[in-house]
Amino acid sequence: MKILVCIKQVPDMESRFKVNNSGVWYEETDLAFRMNEYDEYAVEQAVQLKEQSGNAPDVTVLSIGPGRVVEALKKALAMGCDRAVHIQDDEYYLKDSWQIASIIAAYAKDLNFDLIFTGMQSQDRGSAQVGVTVAELLGFSCATTLVGFAYGGNVITAKRELEGGLKSVIKLRLPAVVTCQLGLNTPRYPTLPNIMKAKKKEMLTHPVADFLKEGAHSATERFYLPAKKGGGILLEGDVNDMVDRLVEILKEKNAVVR
Amino acid sequence: MEATREIYWNVGHGVVWPMYVFSFIAMAVCVYGFYRRLVVYRQGKRLNRFDRLRVRVNLVFRNVLAQTRVLRVLGPGFIHALFFWGFGFLFIGTLLVMAQADIFQPLFGVVFLKGTFYKLFSLVLDVAGLVALVMLVGLQVRRFFAKPEGLETIRDDYVVHALLFTILATGFVVEGVRMAATEIRNNPNLSLYSPVGMLVGKPFVGMKLDALFLTHKALWWFHFFLAMGFIAVIPFTKLRHIFTTSANYLFTDLAPKGTISTINLEDEGAAQFGAAKVADLTWKDIFDADACTSCKRCQDRCPAFATGKPLSPMKMVKQIGEAAFSNPQAGLIEAVSQDALWACTTCRACQEICPANIEHVNKILEMRRNLSLMEGVFAGDEVRTATSNVEVNGNPFGLAFAARGEWAVGLDVKVMEQDSDVDILYFVGCYASFDKRNREIARNFIKICNAARVRVGILSKEEKCCGEPMRKLGNEYLYQMTAAENIERIKGYGVKKIVTTCPHCFNTLGRDYKDLGLELDVEHYSTFVHGLITSKRLKLKPEPFEFTYHDSCYLGRYMDIFDAPRAILTTAGGRLTEMAKSGSESFCCGAGGGRIVAEEKIGTRINVERVKMAEATGAPLLVSNCPFCLTMFEDGIKTGDCEGKLKALDLAEIIAARIGG
Repeated sequence: MKILVCIKQVPDMESRFKVNNSGVWYEETDLAFRMNEYDEYAVEQAVQLKEQSGNAPDVTVLSIGPGRVVEALKKALAMGCDRAVHIQDDEYYLKDSWQIASIIAAYAKDLNFDLIFTGMQSQDRGSAQVGVTVAELLGFSCATTLVGFAYGGNVITAKRELEGGLKSVIKLRLPAVVTCQLGLNTPRYPTLPNIMKAKKKEMLTHPVADFLKEGAHSATERFYLPAKKGGGILLEGDVNDMVDRLVEILKEKNAVVR
Repeated sequence: MEATREIYWNVGHGVVWPMYVFSFIAMAVCVYGFYRRLVVYRQGKRLNRFDRLRVRVNLVFRNVLAQTRVLRVLGPGFIHALFFWGFGFLFIGTLLVMAQADIFQPLFGVVFLKGTFYKLFSLVLDVAGLVALVMLVGLQVRRFFAKPEGLETIRDDYVVHALLFTILATGFVVEGVRMAATEIRNNPNLSLYSPVGMLVGKPFVGMKLDALFLTHKALWWFHFFLAMGFIAVIPFTKLRHIFTTSANYLFTDLAPKGTISTINLEDEGAAQFGAAKVADLTWKDIFDADACTSCKRCQDRCPAFATGKPLSPMKMVKQIGEAAFSNPQAGLIEAVSQDALWACTTCRACQEICPANIEHVNKILEMRRNLSLMEGVFAGDEVRTATSNVEVNGNPFGLAFAARGEWAVGLDVKVMEQDSDVDILYFVGCYASFDKRNREIARNFIKICNAARVRVGILSKEEKCCGEPMRKLGNEYLYQMTAAENIERIKGYGVKKIVTTCPHCFNTLGRDYKDLGLELDVEHYSTFVHGLITSKRLKLKPEPFEFTYHDSCYLGRYMDIFDAPRAILTTAGGRLTEMAKSGSESFCCGAGGGRIVAEEKIGTRINVERVKMAEATGAPLLVSNCPFCLTMFEDGIKTGDCEGKLKALDLAEIIAARIGG
């Protein structure tokens, strides 16, 4: 079995964001980067499947972006992926989800992957479109927002999270793309021997031009910080007074209490 | 008549051969017993504890002969020391008898046990024997009747106490019977130099000589075989501590206190990190278990044990010994339990008091290293999060690394990136950088420096966690990664001196970073500010206040800094009331060993326990000089219901408020 895991390196969400010169994305200085949280679940699930299948499956991890994404790839290797593919692209942020998906599909087309894991969305762009588009382009079956995963006899049994707290269980045949959601698993912490082993694993780098065949369908118009809204109001004093004042505020400012 | 006595009186010189044969058998059994144990010690990894022999031998003299460490706990320590000295004199006395009777007299015709020296010899041995006997009874009363909490009595204790008591008692009876047949009858003046023997002998004086001879002979042999039995059982009972504990002083770790082995991460051949099995520890770690006398002093001082957590340093050491001797392939971590390992605050109270010179803390760290580096296990989910935060943002809070220097905005402090012409680099640490309460420490320290005209620089967003909490939680890899970045920055700016406000940063930068290539003068602000005051660069306007002072573990026990902070605070007008546990016996706040980022889920809260001790002094102010301690106390005052009665302040806050004059 051949498995592909697609990951993205994103800024830590606690970082102080500034708009960059292009005006359509963030400035990278003073940002701390890490592996996209949802992609960590994808890596973990792929490695678990590998381990459950007697280590037979071969797991490739892929990331698109500038040089720094190598750090995220190294982490995925330390977690247990077998090889890494870095598609070098400094202008990744100017590409829309369609283009990113097309790059991945172009890479994966002739490599006969049976299963592709990725996060349900990235923490920075948050389009949630790349995974499903890759499935469509490759003609794979697809399930999104997985919170449960089991594999047996060429069939995946996936538990999906739906709106309103509902869950559904579906089965899908290989080849397939699944996108992973919080709750699917607890990503492992790489052990030191695995970190050291990872240093010797294969890391291939391709220029993005090798796989970029598609133009963009959408473009970012403007990127800006949300306007500062008024601060919170802190009520203090006697409980009864506070309740009265809260009710007043709710009446005054909202339609909650009439 | 010259004062002396006939050696081998009544038993005759014919006993010499059988006596030596039995002695050699006893000693052979003893040596064989230790040899069997030596094989077990050698399961451990190599470690050189034989360098600087002069220092080592000196330590043995100071701690074995002078019983220095034993005497740190006065009650039982004093009894033990007196017993030891008493028994020691008896041993020397026996050697003198041997030297004269079997060497000097037969070979050279020299008799030195005569005249005044004999009188002295006789008196000293009699008194020594009495002291040993009385102290032994004292120890027995303590162990078998007073039964102090936590003192475990095992089969060995009954054997050892019965043996020692009978040896000492029969020794006096043999002497008494001999004197009843000799000195008391024909040289009563001489018998005054054997007062105990005389008292014991008096009742026997009425006995017929034949009966006395027979009794003496029988008792002599009985006493002799008991003494041989004593030698033979040494390696098989707790008595082995006579040798193992003494030797453990020879094997003292001569590195600066708190030194942890720095794992070579470049070594590609390494496949095992930390300790999962006995063979992953050093021979000294196994030997420690044999040197342990189960005196429980460590357990009595362990903050984790005191608050109902499953850690006892003593039991942990014993568990390693059990594994080494009975099942070396067994998992150490399972034997000790993860909960016990994670409970340690690395406060070093155990190690500091241990009269057997055992190194508890690094054993725990080695096992933690195995959990962290080999298994990827954390003390809890909150620790996993904190670890990942340090990885990404260089602080356990997960706050933006770029905001690290924001506390200093508007203060007269240089950011090294812009201007590195400074007197000192202030390594702020995570808590004083990000934690709202602890930022007061940083700000007030800058005020103090400004007043003393010390030009201070900070690394600001270039500074990262020193790595101490992660290292103490076993994550050597992350520690070395963040340390390497800090070291590179610090070296890049040509810094000459670093001052920290956090004792954990202080220990790590000053001692641990040396292994990674940073050789710099690193000082904690307690001594730095003390220096500013004594050199008159900083003038204070004293204002009276009542306070109690908490010795943080990493400043006190680890670095032996006890006086400087107290001196500063009293110079500032403070009147100090010490807590029940202070100085080297200080009780941890609960945050050491990386516990600052872990939740305390088992037992009661260590910080509340400490805050209650502070409250008991009646002083309204608890002063510390560690951001971890301050964090724990602020929390402990709230959860321990001490609000309004006790306030926690940092030393910097007190000094900054009294600048002037």
